[in-house]
Parts: sequence; structure tokens; C-alpha cells
Amino acid sequence: MTGTSQVHQTLETDREVADDDRRTFVLDETGFKEVPKRWRRFYRHWQGEGDSLGPNEVICPVCKVVIRSTREFRPGDRVYCMPCMSRMVVVRRDDGTLEAEVTY
Amino acid sequence: MTSTQLGAAGSEGLDSEEPHGLDETAFYREVRSFSFWFEAVEGYLEGRPHGYVPSTPDEELDPRRRERLITTLCNYCVGEAAALEGASGMVRLAPNHNSRIFMATQVADEARHLEVFLHRLGELGVTDPELEVRRRAHPSIVAFKHQLLELVDAGDWDAAVFALNVLLETLEFTVFRHHARTADVITSQILDGVVSDERRHLGFGENTLGHHLVGHPTDRTRLIEIKGHLDSLVMGALDGAYGDLGLHRGERPKLGRDYLQAVERLGILS
Repeated sequence: MTGTSQVHQTLETDREVADDDRRTFVLDETGFKEVPKRWRRFYRHWQGEGDSLGPNEVICPVCKVVIRSTREFRPGDRVYCMPCMSRMVVVRRDDGTLEAEVTY
Repeated sequence: MTSTQLGAAGSEGLDSEEPHGLDETAFYREVRSFSFWFEAVEGYLEGRPHGYVPSTPDEELDPRRRERLITTLCNYCVGEAAALEGASGMVRLAPNHNSRIFMATQVADEARHLEVFLHRLGELGVTDPELEVRRRAHPSIVAFKHQLLELVDAGDWDAAVFALNVLLETLEFTVFRHHARTADVITSQILDGVVSDERRHLGFGENTLGHHLVGHPTDRTRLIEIKGHLDSLVMGALDGAYGDLGLHRGERPKLGRDYLQAVERLGILS
């Protein structure tokens, strides 16, 4: 588990790249149980046909779990998939949709 | 979407518990720790001593479906035994303590998978599961197991990670996810728990190899060769598994899609 200073450092970094008008979200529990309790609301299972992603959600290309944030995603944001331990960056595809791209 | 929008806000709205706020070192320390593993598996295995809720009623399967399920589970056992033996050998090969600790958690996961599949075989009336596994095992998955263990015995960490955590885990992840949707309710619950474990294993494989290849890009050539040797065995094992599940070719989910995406991200397409 990280210390507070590390979180604050990241906040500062994000402030440099983020617009000021990002929407923020309160995340509910989704029934996802594949990570320790404190992280569970940041992930959910993709429900298949009929499901859709919110502006604060991207799909992990490695393990297909939906990754969530308390704020709207923007290109360049760093995201972590804890269920499969992958690091990613949010990118915008040609069709305008946001996707997570794995970084090593 | 199950979140509630609050309204416009700046980055100061980022939740202090947001995992995406961790730095890289803290992230890996967290997700590759024993406590993370323990709390994760507790979440989906608590109260499921054999991988399913004990009060779940067992459906009566017609003889043909039961036979197919037995053959399928026997082959899952070969794959899980390969993973267990491979992962236990890889604890010693791991290049750092972080990876060593992770592999130890994977050993425990694989042992549990083997145990719950053997237990399910017993529930289906198989009196000697070990014998039945030997009788019903497809040659491709048996040959894959031998190849994997040769890589482990040779002390080849990168190749072993590729064979076990990328190839075999992607195969299992794809087949188990599909089977869980069509299986009887007890087998389905067992498979769901196994799939949750497989996410960690395949993610570890891709990320470990991906990180290594950034610093050692010429190692791709060797991994492409290994992929060439193992591809036919993986595809043979997949064909066998889908055949046991009674799927016609047109109904088969594409392992190719998940697998090719993974190797493409790693840049080891042949």
C-alpha cells in the first residue's frame, strides 16, 4: 500500500495534464470481488451485450475487466488493472472512443 | 454504468483511495503481495470449500453430457497439473523476490484448481480420478506439459513465463470462461473461481515479459521460435477441449483473438 505522499505526488502530475472541467463520480460497489475490499469499487465485470462504458470507465485489454475511476478519463491518464496487474495509459482511438493501452 | 455523477470538478476530485494514483513501485508492491492475493481469493472463495457454494443442488446430467464433462475435467486436470509443476519450479527461477512471491501464490492457486477439478470428478462418479485423467488426456495437452517442464528444467525463466503464463493461461482463460456459461451450475461456479485466478496469472505473464522485452528486444526472436514449437500443441489442446464440450467449429469462441492480441502486444507474432 502506498503512502499519502505518493498519492499527492500523482495528483500534482495529473493537475498538469487535466482540464479543469472533469466530471467526478461516486463509485458504488459492483459485486466485483477479485481484489481486496478497498479496491473493489474501481472494477466491475463487463456484462456483455447491452452494457456500456461510462466516461470514467475503460476495458482492460488483457483481462477484459472494466476499470473505473472517480473522475472522467482523458487521453494520457494512467490506469491500473489490479485484477491482472497491468499498467495502462488511456488513449483516444480514431473513432473518438477512449481505450486503455498496456504499457510495460 | 453504476456510478453516480457528481458534476464538474478538477483533478482535486481524485479519490485518495484511487488505485490509479499509486506510483508504479507501490502498485507492484501491492498487487504482487501475499496480502493482496489472500484478500482477493477470500473475496470469491470464502464459503466455497470445493469451489462452489455447498448448498448448491447438483443437476442430474444425462449420460452423454456427464461423459463429456468427465473428459473435459480430466483434460483440465492435465493443464492444471502442468501449471502446478511448472509454477513450483519457476519459484526457484524467478529473477527477483517480487516475482518469486507472486509465483508462490500461483502455485497455491494451481494446486487448488487441480484439487477442485479432481473433487468434481469424484462427485461425477469417477472412483479413481488420477487413472481416469491418464486414460482421457488428449496427446496435445500432455505434449504441451512435457515441453513446458523441459523449459522449466532448463532454467529458462522467460520461455517458461511465456509458455505457462501467456500461452497456457490464455488457453485456460478462454476455454473456462466459455465453459462457465454453458456448464451445470456447480461446474460453472468452480470455473468462475478459477477464471478469477487466471486473470492474475496471465497478467503477470504479459507484464513480466513485456517489461523484459523493453530492455532486451533481441530476446523476441527466441520467443518467436518457442511460440512456433508450441502453437500447434496449444491449438490441438483447444480443439480437443472444444470437441469435448460438444461445440461445432462455427460455435467455438476464438482463442485466436485473445491469444493473438496478447502476443501482438508483446511483439512476438511469428
